[in-house]
Order: sequence, then structure tokens, then C-alpha cells
Amino acid sequence: MEYHRISLDEALPEEQDLREDSAVDRIPAALRPAQPTAAMDAEAFRAASERILTAINTVIDGKAEAARLALTVLLAQGHLLLEDVPGVGKTLLAKTLARTIDCSVSRIQFTPDLLPSDVTGVSIYNQASRSFEFRPGAVFANIVIGDEINRASAKTQSALLECMEEHQVTVDGHSYKLDEPFMVVATQNPIEMEGTYPLPEAQRDRFMARISMGYPDKEAEMEMLETHQATSPLAKVTAVVTAGEVASMIATVREVYVSQSIKEYTVSLGRATRESGMLRLGASPRSMLQLLRAAKATAALEGRDFLLPDDVVSVAESVLAHRIILDRKAASTGETAQGVIRAILAKIPVSPDLAATPAATSTRR
Amino acid sequence: MTLTPQRSAGTHAGRAGAAGDPEAAGSPGLESPGTPKARRAVGAQPWLMALAVATAVAGAALSLNGVLRGWAWYSPVLSTVLTVAFTMAGLRALRWRSVFVTAGALAALVLILTFTFFRPHSIIGFIPSGATMTQLGRYLRRASETVLAESSPVAPNAGIVLLVCAALGLTVIVVDALAYPLALPATSGLGILALLIVPAMIKPQSVGALGFSAAAAGYLMILGCSHWFSPDARTGAASVRNPGQFRRGSLTGAVALTATLLLQLVIPGFDQGAFPQGSRLNPFGPASGLNPMISLGNSLRSPGGDGRITFATNAPSTPYLRSVTVDSFNGDNWAPDDRDGTRRLGTGRIESGVESAATEVRVVTAVDTGQFISPYLPVPFAPEAVNGLTGRWSWDPATLSIKGVDTDSRNQRYVALSVAPQLTPDLLTQATGPVQGVPEQFIRPPDNVPEIVRTTAEAVTAGSATPYARAMAIQRYLRSVNFTYSLQSPVQGGYDGNGLSVLADFLNQKSGYCIHFASAMAVMARLEGIPSRIAVGYAPGRPTGATVSIGGHGALPEFEVDARDAHAWPELYFQGLGWVPFEPTPSRGVVPSYAEEAAAPSGASTNENNDGLIPSNSPLPTPPPSVAPLPPSGAAPRPDAASVLLPVLYGAGAVLVLGLLLASPHLARTALRHRRVGGSGVDSAAASQAWMELRDLATDYRVPPRTSETPRHFSARLRHAGALGEPQGPDAEAHRAVRSLTADFERRQYGRPPSVPGVDGARPGAGTPAGSAAGAGSTGASAAPLISAVRSSLRDHARPLVRFRAEWLPPSTLAAGRRAATAPFRAARRAAQRTRRGLAGARSRVRGALRRVRRERWLRRS
Repeated sequence: MEYHRISLDEALPEEQDLREDSAVDRIPAALRPAQPTAAMDAEAFRAASERILTAINTVIDGKAEAARLALTVLLAQGHLLLEDVPGVGKTLLAKTLARTIDCSVSRIQFTPDLLPSDVTGVSIYNQASRSFEFRPGAVFANIVIGDEINRASAKTQSALLECMEEHQVTVDGHSYKLDEPFMVVATQNPIEMEGTYPLPEAQRDRFMARISMGYPDKEAEMEMLETHQATSPLAKVTAVVTAGEVASMIATVREVYVSQSIKEYTVSLGRATRESGMLRLGASPRSMLQLLRAAKATAALEGRDFLLPDDVVSVAESVLAHRIILDRKAASTGETAQGVIRAILAKIPVSPDLAATPAATSTRR
Repeated sequence: MTLTPQRSAGTHAGRAGAAGDPEAAGSPGLESPGTPKARRAVGAQPWLMALAVATAVAGAALSLNGVLRGWAWYSPVLSTVLTVAFTMAGLRALRWRSVFVTAGALAALVLILTFTFFRPHSIIGFIPSGATMTQLGRYLRRASETVLAESSPVAPNAGIVLLVCAALGLTVIVVDALAYPLALPATSGLGILALLIVPAMIKPQSVGALGFSAAAAGYLMILGCSHWFSPDARTGAASVRNPGQFRRGSLTGAVALTATLLLQLVIPGFDQGAFPQGSRLNPFGPASGLNPMISLGNSLRSPGGDGRITFATNAPSTPYLRSVTVDSFNGDNWAPDDRDGTRRLGTGRIESGVESAATEVRVVTAVDTGQFISPYLPVPFAPEAVNGLTGRWSWDPATLSIKGVDTDSRNQRYVALSVAPQLTPDLLTQATGPVQGVPEQFIRPPDNVPEIVRTTAEAVTAGSATPYARAMAIQRYLRSVNFTYSLQSPVQGGYDGNGLSVLADFLNQKSGYCIHFASAMAVMARLEGIPSRIAVGYAPGRPTGATVSIGGHGALPEFEVDARDAHAWPELYFQGLGWVPFEPTPSRGVVPSYAEEAAAPSGASTNENNDGLIPSNSPLPTPPPSVAPLPPSGAAPRPDAASVLLPVLYGAGAVLVLGLLLASPHLARTALRHRRVGGSGVDSAAASQAWMELRDLATDYRVPPRTSETPRHFSARLRHAGALGEPQGPDAEAHRAVRSLTADFERRQYGRPPSVPGVDGARPGAGTPAGSAAGAGSTGASAAPLISAVRSSLRDHARPLVRFRAEWLPPSTLAAGRRAATAPFRAARRAAQRTRRGLAGARSRVRGALRRVRRERWLRRS
């Protein structure tokens, strides 16, 4: 069994006082009383998000955009897929995000022989009590880091499906609620093809956003060599917000107002992907919902309580690009999914109602 | 607990706090905290505005005195103007919509006109009925006759006053509409200007100080009212941002004044006095048609010669060209009596019916009228036949005037045969027999002859025995040194025109021009028992130096006359000799040999073109021909001969329409801007109006928004395009304004509508300002100063051509116009597409069905 369920201790031998987040010791979430989470004050929200981003940026140089998007996905209750070549800091980003929040974190290193029960948990016969006892799997944590998710078999990958979508685990007919906030941060390597199982479309659709980290620029790289030589940067990171705070931040995001025209804009974006001649598969209705949620989180991070088209535009590429499938012809011409999304964004009118508004609407009496 | 960033500052708090907000107060254009309050209340504004408009229009109407005689017409005008203006004010005070206010004003205009003019012909005194329409037709006919036939000042008959009242009422409505709902107070001056153009073109004294100052005062009141009640953002901005407003204003004024004074030196025709006194503005040029009595003075005063006629003749002395006579000296306005009933068609043979005792000389004259337009044909007296005319012409046996039936004198070339009796003083002296065979209207003395005319006639002719002696005495008297020839003194003395009262003035002042001399002699001769009439036509002109050959007569010298040679002279009837012309006007024309006398003080006269400004008693040396510059005849304008008022009215209208047409994109754009940002500016619709204005402004200055662009992106692009200048420094305000407008619009367009309460009613965080970038600069204040700041920055950084285009041919307006114009085509194209698609579908279905049938048949067969 190559099942690693680690608390980040492993990376930090001289672990200070990280909380004991061993899932084994935890009672299933469903058994605990659900505490209502209230929305957060604007100032507190801003301060909290500021703290998280600052913490991440001290660890990962020159990747503020990626960090911000990761936080956006967390606040939008989505799951994040980090896809890039090895060694650009995918796992580091995931781990840092997890560390900044005072919550349970588990990490699953996906391998070809990983079993679904390793992810979800298993019922074991307890000799003493003469009954089956549920032993939660690695997924029972607030943040689940799935490293190299495409190395596991399709069977194991799909074990994550229910967890990601419904935030619950069903084993032997029993459903167990997962803790809130719950977020899966998966990484995958697009280059290595041998022995990998590319994520099926259904599962890709469950990730709210895909981020490509990209190489850092020269200064950031120099800086990294300078500071990260001796010690792991993670060592300095401490939790800056509690899980409860995150939950209330999420509640805040949920209250962001979405006007009718934004909904229309989002829908017309989705329809445009489905009608585009370049695409074999357009964006799903679920992806529209996730697009809107991600946009709401962006708006909240900007300190607004209503959505702007800019928010939708800013996350559209990350949210939509990994869900659509290019037409064979378009793919052969070197077109990319991102390019198609950008072209659609450049074509869809933002506020059709504005153009239609009669200019002569007089406000005078 | 939730996020509540700028909502609080935006709509609720912003409404009350706009005035007190330090940022709002600091921004230009918000003048005082009281301003929004004054704007909200209707209060006195409509009434003051109505007063201003009424003052302007009624004041401008003051200058119509002189176009219309006396002041009797002014009270109906005043009542009409006041009724219309205050009806609008009343409706506005009741908060009616602008469209209905205008409609109501039109209705009020109709009612007051009915009440004033058609009281007996309407239902209960002011409701129009069928009888009103009949009466209206009668009045309009009368008005058009007046306009066509009379000279200014015209008698204020009901028709013309009705016309004036209606026009002024409409002007009130137009001026008000421009000033109030369209929010173009400055442009409303055009309506007032249109009124002033009429006297400026018709009256020799032009507008006059009284009318001008009253109209100007009204206009200033309109501007003041508009500024007071809805302060224009631009001027408001100027007071804070540019303290040099007064300096700039006086500089503009000085430049305008200098231009006005210098321009008249450059423009030909402004040779007397200052604009518009020197030469009256007349788009058609001076009336080139020779309208007897009416435009004679104007023709003579015209600086250039128009209506040029050339003629060649074999007469021993250059003949007068005579076109019409005036014989009735009653009433205030003498006009030719056409006597259409007794006219005879055809000019092949014209009979004077007078057997002259003198030997007669046949004269052949070939005339080319060129651009001269008149219903009457200029021919030498007395015509026997006129050949070569086009169109149908008729002649009057009594006066021998030749008049077109369905045509006029323009571009006519004809040969006139005339008879000139060889008269001598002896023959005339012998003609003492009682007058017989002359129609009564030439003999009957006019009624109500002023005393001075009668006494003068008696004094002058005392001691003269024969009719000829009496005629000569009158002519001698009029040609004496006591009388001076002047085109200006009748104008200055207020007796420019004709009629018996004018005659009395003339005899008092002893200064006038041909029409005065001719009418004086004609009236006095008639009082002395000599039948008389006034002939109107042309004094002998100048030789052109060219010759014209006429079949059978060889090459004849050619002469020319134009408007400056227009002339009037008396014709007196002597028994046995017929009608005999005299020449009482000093320094004009040629005194006929039979009327010459050695003692005549100014016996020598000249047929040169004398301007008549300086009475000249000494014979002028004959200068070489064509001293005066002659306009090419082809370029001469062509007004209707009989009308002076009409072309002026048309001209005023055309100038107004043309000006409005050229300025219409600018006006439409300005009106749209005022409508968008002139409102109270704190309600949510104002934000999107202001946003649309910002988009259009950017379009005008070549930073057009794209449809797929988010407001924020567009705003950023606009700020970084360089069109606004640097974000720091003097243009920081414009940048701030754009940001603020964007934030306001975003909140209005995408934010939570104010009526919908938050998800959790009482939010503890409400009212906490979020220190985010989006919230900065949004004050909820009026958009007008923001827009004007953006506009001035855009203007400052645009190239001149772009600036010009943005002002006068704004692309946003033109694009909107284009869209509106092509909308029907687009709809048609869409319909055609749909039809085509439907047809194609039907065809394929039919084809599929056929294929199926064929296939089944084939299957069955096999």
C-alpha cells in the first residue's frame, strides 16, 4: 500500500505545534453538530484574504496570480487542478495554501496501485466490539492534496468524484459528510504520458479551475535561489486564518450579488462555447455555475459585494479552458483551448441591454 | 456580516450627503448646497422663463414697426405672445411632459388667434369652426396680396396681422422648446434672430435700437434663467477651474466687435454706415424687378446694378423705357391698376386711340431684358407693336402698359415699334381744348389732398394761362434750387414710399427722389385740371459701345440700363397731342426738348449713372461709358418681381433652416448631452445616462468602446489611451471623473438594486466604506461636472481636426443616425434571409418526399 496520508509534518521534521489532523482520530463530520456560518464583515474579509495571500507570496515568489486564483477557488468552494511541468512549485503552492489555514490537511500521493478505499475509507470488523467500524480515508480533511492525480487508475480517480461534487463519502451504504471547507487541490504533469491515466472529462469538469503555474521570471528565480537554499520556505509559514474564518468567508462570497445582465452574459458565454465551430465539446451548465461562483469569489476578494463582467472575464479562461475539447481541425491548426476562450470573450457583447436602452430615456420631468 | 462596500456611499448616503461631501463640494460645478434643492422644485422657473421668452419675442417684434405701419398691430401681437408663453409656463408648473406642453401651447395659439381675429366667425368666440376656415382663407389671401403688392411699411390689415401673430406665436413655442426641454438656451437665439432678419432686410433703418435692445434683453433673460435654474456644468466649471472667465468673455466680445467692424470693409456693398445699416442683408440681391412705387427707392439705392436690360434703338434721342403707369392717387399705397378686364391679348398691334396733331416718328427698339423680372414689359412710349415675345402678353388701351398673362419679362428679346410725336412748345401751347376721350380715372383729383399740396399747386401755377404753361410752371418749381435730389432724406424723414401724406412731407422737406417729384407733378397737374399719371420705367441708360443689327435698320447703338436707372416721371394729357412725358426730377433723366426752358436752373442733366447722393446742379462732363462695374447678367439673382416681403421671409427661413441643418449634428449631440447629464443626477438612471454620455464622448474623440468590452476595461483603456492626458497634473481630475463615472455605472448596472434589501436585513457592516479601488471617487453627485471635466480634457488633448469633428460632426450622433437610417434595410434583409431559408427548407422537404415516392415505386417494381 503506497497510501500516504501525511500531515505536513513529514516535510517538516522539526514540526512545531501543527495541530494533530490525523483523520483517523477524527469523528466523521456527519456526527458532529453543524455550526451555522455567518457572512463576514468587509473589513475582516479583506484583512483575512490579505493575510493568506501575503503568507503564500512569501513562500512562492512571483506567482501572486496563481496564489490569488487558488484562494478564489477555495472561497468559491471549488477544487483546483494545478497542471504544469515538474518542479515549478505546484505541490508547494498546494501545501502553502493548506498551511496558511488552520485546518486539517491530507495528502494523497497517487500511484497506479492506489485503491479507491484508500481515498474514501474502509469499514473494518472490530473484533472487540464485534461490529464493522468505519475508518475514514485520506479524503476526510479540509484540504486534500492529490499529488500527480493522473498516475492513479481511473477507478481510484473516480472515487474522488462523489467527494468532490457532493462533499460526502458513501461506504457500504452509509454516507459520511465531509468537513467544511473542503477542497481538493490536485496536481498533474502534462508531459509524462507513460503510465498515466489522463483525467476523464467528467472528472475534469469537477475541478473548478485549472492553473498552469508557468516558470518564474528571472528576478523571482534568483530570489528563490537566494532564500530557499538553506531551509524550506514552508517552515516559516504558520496558519493565518482558522477554518471557521474560511467558512465565514465562503458565506460572504455566497452573498455577492449577481445582476441579471451578468447572468445573461455568463449564459451567452456558455452558449457561445457550445456553438463555436472550433470546439467538439462546449462548456457544461455546471461549468457556468462554477464560473459564476469563481467570479463571485473574485469580486469579494476585490472588496465588492456585486459581480462585474470583469470578474467573469478574469476567471473565464481558468475555469473554462480545461473543460472544453477542441475540434480536431482546430487542434491541428495549433489552436489552444485558452485561445478559443479568449476569442469568444472578445466577441460576446458585455451588456447587450445597454446598447438596446433607448438613449432618449429622459430623466427630466 | 457581509461585504457592503460602496453601496452606502453610492445611493443612500450619497443623495443626502452630496452637498456636504468634501469631495463633492471640492469638485467643480457644484456651486452651492442649495442648488439641488432649487432644481427639484418647479417653483418660479417656468414663469420666469415664460417672461423671458415673451420679452425676447415681443421685443424683437417691436422692430417690425416700419414693416407694418403704426402701432395698432402691436396689441394683438402682445396678447398672442403673452398667452402662448404663459400657457406653457402654466402647463409646466403642472408638471406636464414637454411634448404636451408644446401641444398645449399650439392649442392656446389657435384659440387666442381665433379669439382675436375670428370672434364673430367661431363658436362662443374662440373655438374655430367652418366659418373660421372660410374667413381664414380670406385673410390669408389678403395677406398674400399685401405681401405681393405693397411696399413697406404696409398697412396693418387683419390678414397681415394674423400672419404676424401666428408667426410670433410659433416663434415663442420654438424658442421655448429650444431653451427649455432641449436645454439649448443659447441656440434659442436663432428664433429671435429669425424675427430680427425680417426688419433688417426690409426696413431701410434696419432693426432699430428699440427692437434690438428689447430682443437682446429678452435673450439675456433666457440665458440667465437657464443658467440660474439648471446651471450649465461648463460655465460652472469655468468659475472654479478657470478664473479667467471674465477675461475670456471680454476677449471674445472684442474679437467679435472688431470682426464686425472690419468685415464690412471687406465685403462689397457695405459702403454706407455700419452693419447692418449700410446695406441690407438680402440673399437675393436688390430687387431687380421693377416694381412700380414699391422698390424704386431700394432699386435706386442698390450699390450694384442688377436687372440689367440692354436695348438698341434708332431713336434720335435715347428713349425712356416705360413699363407701367400709376393713375389712382387715392389711399396710402399707390399701385398700378391692372384693369385686367379691359386688357387686350396680343401685342402685334397696339392702338393708343389718340390722334396726335404732331408729326410722328416711328422708332424701332430691340430690347433684351436679360434677368430683369417684372410682369410688365419695358418699351419706349408709345408702342405700336411688339414682336418676338415668348408667352402670352396683353396690353391696356388706356395706359398702353404691356403685361404678361402667364409669363414675365425674364429673358425676353423683342423688337418694339413705337411712335414718338415731334412735340414743340408751340404745339403744346396751342393745345388748350377741353379734354375729351380720356378715362375718368386720369382726371379725377384724389380725395383728401393735403392742404400743402393744394396751396403749392395754386401758388406755383398762378398766372399761367394754358395747361402747358401750368405744367411748365410746376416742372420749373420742382426743378428749382429749392429741391434737392436725395435717396436718403426720405428714409431719414420717414416718408420713403408713396401716398398723399408722403407727398405732403416731400413738399415740406423739398428733398426726395424721382417718385416724389413725379407724383408731386402728377397730383398738382391733376389739381390744375390736367389729366395725369405717373409712368414708371427706366431713365435713358448708358451706351455700351456695342452695336446690334436689326433687319432693315442696320447696326444700331446699344444701350444698357439697370436698377440704378429706375425712374418715374409724370405723363400729362394734352388734347389733340395725347400723353406727354415731363421730367420734374432734377439731375435725372433728360428733359424733353418741348419742356426745356432757358431759365431752368438745372436744365442740363445727365444720363450718366449718378448715385444721387449728392444733388448735382452742374452739368457733369460725360465720362466714357460704363464707369460703374457691371455685373455679368447671368449671375444676377432672380427674385419674384412683385414681392419684396416674400423673398425676405423665405430668405430668413432659408438662412434659419440652413443654419439649423448645418448645426444639427452638433445641436443633437448637445441636446442629448444635456438631457443625459442635466438631470438631477442622483437617481440610478442618471448613472447609466452619464455612462452612455461618456461612451459617446470617447467615440467622438476616437476611443470608441467595443461591445465585448467591460465597462472597467473601457474605462482603463480610455484613461491610458492618451486622449485624456497624463493621469497626474492638470488632467488628474478628468481621470478621477472617468473612474468615478465607471464606478457609479457599475454599481447601477451590476450592483444590488436599492429597493431589494440585503439577504440578511440588518447588516452590521452596512455603511462601512470599503477602501477598495472601486469605491474611490464615487460620490453619487451630479454627473454634469464630471462629464464636463472629461470633455474638456479630451478636447484639450485632441488634434484640431478631431476636435472639430467631435464638436460639429460627432461620430456618435452620426452613427446613431446611420443606424436609424439603415434600420429598415436591415429589417428587410433579415426578412429576406428568413424567407430564403424557409423556401430552401420547403424545397428540400418537397425534394425528399419526391425521392421517397420514387424509391418506394422502385422497390415495388423490383
